[in-house]
Amino acid sequence: MIEFKNVTKGYDKNKSDALKNVSLFIDKGEFVFLVGRSGAGKSTFIKLLLREIEATEGSVYINNFNVAKLSKKEIPFLRRKMGIVFQDFRLLENKSVYENVAYAMEIIGKSEKQIQKRVPLALDMVGLSHRMNHYPHELSGGEQQRVVIARAIINNPSILICDEPTGNLDPETSYEIISILEEINRRGTTVVVVTHDREIVDTMKKRVLTLEDGILKVDDATGRYGYEV
Amino acid sequence: MRQVGTAMKFSSIKTMPRNVVRDTMKSIERNNLMSAASVLSVIAALIILGIFLILTINVQEVTKDVESKLELKIFLQSDFTDTQKETIQQALKKSDLIENVTFESAEEALEKFTVSLEDYAPLLSGYNSENNPMPASFVVRVTDPNDMEEVQTLAMSFKNQGVEYVRYGQEYVEALVNFNKFTNTLSIVVLVVLSMISIFIIYNTIKLTVFARRREIGIMKYVGATNAYIRAPFILEGTVLGLMGAIVAFLIIRITYYYILGLVGGNLFLPVDATLASPDAVMGQLIFFFLIYGGFIGAVGSIFAIRKFLDV
Repeated sequence: MIEFKNVTKGYDKNKSDALKNVSLFIDKGEFVFLVGRSGAGKSTFIKLLLREIEATEGSVYINNFNVAKLSKKEIPFLRRKMGIVFQDFRLLENKSVYENVAYAMEIIGKSEKQIQKRVPLALDMVGLSHRMNHYPHELSGGEQQRVVIARAIINNPSILICDEPTGNLDPETSYEIISILEEINRRGTTVVVVTHDREIVDTMKKRVLTLEDGILKVDDATGRYGYEV
Repeated sequence: MRQVGTAMKFSSIKTMPRNVVRDTMKSIERNNLMSAASVLSVIAALIILGIFLILTINVQEVTKDVESKLELKIFLQSDFTDTQKETIQQALKKSDLIENVTFESAEEALEKFTVSLEDYAPLLSGYNSENNPMPASFVVRVTDPNDMEEVQTLAMSFKNQGVEYVRYGQEYVEALVNFNKFTNTLSIVVLVVLSMISIFIIYNTIKLTVFARRREIGIMKYVGATNAYIRAPFILEGTVLGLMGAIVAFLIIRITYYYILGLVGGNLFLPVDATLASPDAVMGQLIFFFLIYGGFIGAVGSIFAIRKFLDV
């Protein structure tokens, strides 16, 4: 569950705010696209969710918890509730596929036994079991993105945030990635996909939030890209 | 979220990074030049510090030794009466600044003097109890050398009532105490300056490691690693560098110190009869101090280096 209540975020007093009085509610188990031109406030939206930055005004709630009330020490535990998929993958080059995914479990102190049980399951879910011992540079872009998704869901987050997950991929691979995200959503995880990819958004017929110059312009439940190019 | 939080904190401390030792050694190797520079700077700092420390320990030892041997001599007038002698002795014995008092008669003084100048005995043979030039005296040992002056004042209150004059190694004591203070202050100044230089060099080394691994740090932050978890390997790396420097510096100093002691045969040309601190005791103190210092310097440098990168 994600809720923004009248959220405004400004970085610089002399420039216009990145987000202006944005209110929105994303329920548990929803699949939502967030679209908008570059500079519309999409990155600010993600950074606010991760508590990388704090809202200037208004409040952000995740699972009914006001993130502004978290102490610095509690932020890592907020992030464990969320999985994140980046456009540029951010895999560790010197670790194998298995190790990259296992790493996310090691960091939060899971036992070797739990890791050995869960990592193959997650890799199977994204269809990469056969690539377990390969290194990122031996994989295609689509395969790398699948590793990232496996890493993002390995700790069972309640929310999966994807920042331009198909930005570096060809259309066919993009659909494969989106269908994996859909499958994850079907199993109960809230999925938020920030994207430019008009075709995918229009085909998927999911809820679309459109940001324009920091304002939430359109909240369309039927799934149409909210602005004309 | 809070309940989960506390439970997680414990388990993430329990399972520190796997292969953390291997990763640390790898990282030191990867930055071999800067790592070597860090270790060298710690070695250099500790050798200089070590020299000062040995100096300080020895000066303290010598001071203590000399002080314990210091006596105060109260010389009596040649025509003192038994009553006067008795009064003075009582007064000295009552004072709690004084450890013990012995009376040395003029005859005893002459005898002692004659014995100490055996070779010149003929020169002194003309003196006997009739024309004895030596004065009688009280030899006083004080409990604390710092009270010398007070005891002197006490004795001088009997001036012309039996006491002629009082003498003790005033100049020696003062010089030693001052020198002691001087070496202490100098050691502290050297300690502070060299520590700052070492911390700065280790800081820069670890910053390279942190910079090389900033992507990894970013990923760790997004996946929900705690700051303590992220920091641990870097602090370990800095501490290892500091400890490596400490051990090498200790070995160099130890070898050199024993070599020099062998050369002088423990016979330093000191103006006073005093013994140096036992080398084994000095080395014991030194390695203890070095290890703590090296580890501390390394950890502090690392903490500074990583602070900036944790703000994500």
